[in-house]
Amino acid sequence: MESKVNNSRWAASARTVVIGRNPRFTFARIVVLVLAVVVTREFVLLPVRIKGPSMLPTYAENGVNFVNRLAYVSHEPQRGDVVTIRYSGTSVMLMKRVIGLPGETIAFHAGRVSINGIPLDEPYIKYPTDWEIPPVTLAAEKYFVVGDNRSMPQNLHTFGETERQRIVGKILLCKNLFASSPPPR
Amino acid sequence: MQKSLRLLAAAALIGLGIWGWFVLFPSPEKVIRSRLQNLARTISFEPADGTIARGYSVQKAAGFFTTDAEINVDGRGLEPLHFSGRDEIQQALLWAARSLRGLKVEFLDINLTLDQDKQSAKANLTGKWTPTGDRDFGVLEFNFLLKKVDGTWLIYRVDSVKTLS
Repeated sequence: MESKVNNSRWAASARTVVIGRNPRFTFARIVVLVLAVVVTREFVLLPVRIKGPSMLPTYAENGVNFVNRLAYVSHEPQRGDVVTIRYSGTSVMLMKRVIGLPGETIAFHAGRVSINGIPLDEPYIKYPTDWEIPPVTLAAEKYFVVGDNRSMPQNLHTFGETERQRIVGKILLCKNLFASSPPPR
Repeated sequence: MQKSLRLLAAAALIGLGIWGWFVLFPSPEKVIRSRLQNLARTISFEPADGTIARGYSVQKAAGFFTTDAEINVDGRGLEPLHFSGRDEIQQALLWAARSLRGLKVEFLDINLTLDQDKQSAKANLTGKWTPTGDRDFGVLEFNFLLKKVDGTWLIYRVDSVKTLS
């Protein structure tokens, strides 16, 4: 008899833990939580997994990061920002650093970047590079983006001009989470 | 009680009717999307797939294109490729099927624009391919141009898009 009472008490308290004292409020909380997650995922922070070596050593491979989609609501991308660039959508994106802004002339000589003829200080470049790119003048609404790993062959590294509308947002964290592979050198 | 039951049954019937209508008469957008996904599945093959299965898939994949279809691919780190006509496309697919152990092709983020006459369409999509055993995958953006030939949507031109120029 006593164990039956204990069982029913246990079931009641388990029900309270799972459903809460007021099921209506619990349901409302679940709906609000799901909505908050969906809205955040779609319009605010987009989680991304980083593949490929082009942003080494700043961003290690196989790590996780977030794209802040609201970063450029109040201002335009700035030089040095690490951004994501979409293809036809956001399922796969490129992660690059903005080095050239609309109207500027970009050139690479012996691996050094110059903007309008003035050398650009790039403390994030850790590996030696010898890239040569003749001067390119950017049109309005165009940005020049490139990865931090310029030790890889120039023809295998995806870089160049992109339209403003392709920039999805700014990378939120300065290091990837859960990155597994160490920098190659 | 009986009235509400009847109402519920009527609503269920209407819902079933609408669902059936969309299944039996899908919109051109839905047909094109499903056809493109079908093409990606057909081009893909597993290491376990034999020569005959691969050959059949290649033949089937060629059927997604018009006889005079053209494909132009130009991406960083890739040799520019141009295929003209269904036969050339078939040969290229056959070469891939013979030389690779396996291949997984996906068409992601398909943006469709249908012409006013609904007889031709443009699909802007991201093509992602992963050869079996490779750690990395390849990605390119493409524009597929399709037209309706005898009630079937066929691809008549494919051009790669330079995401970064």
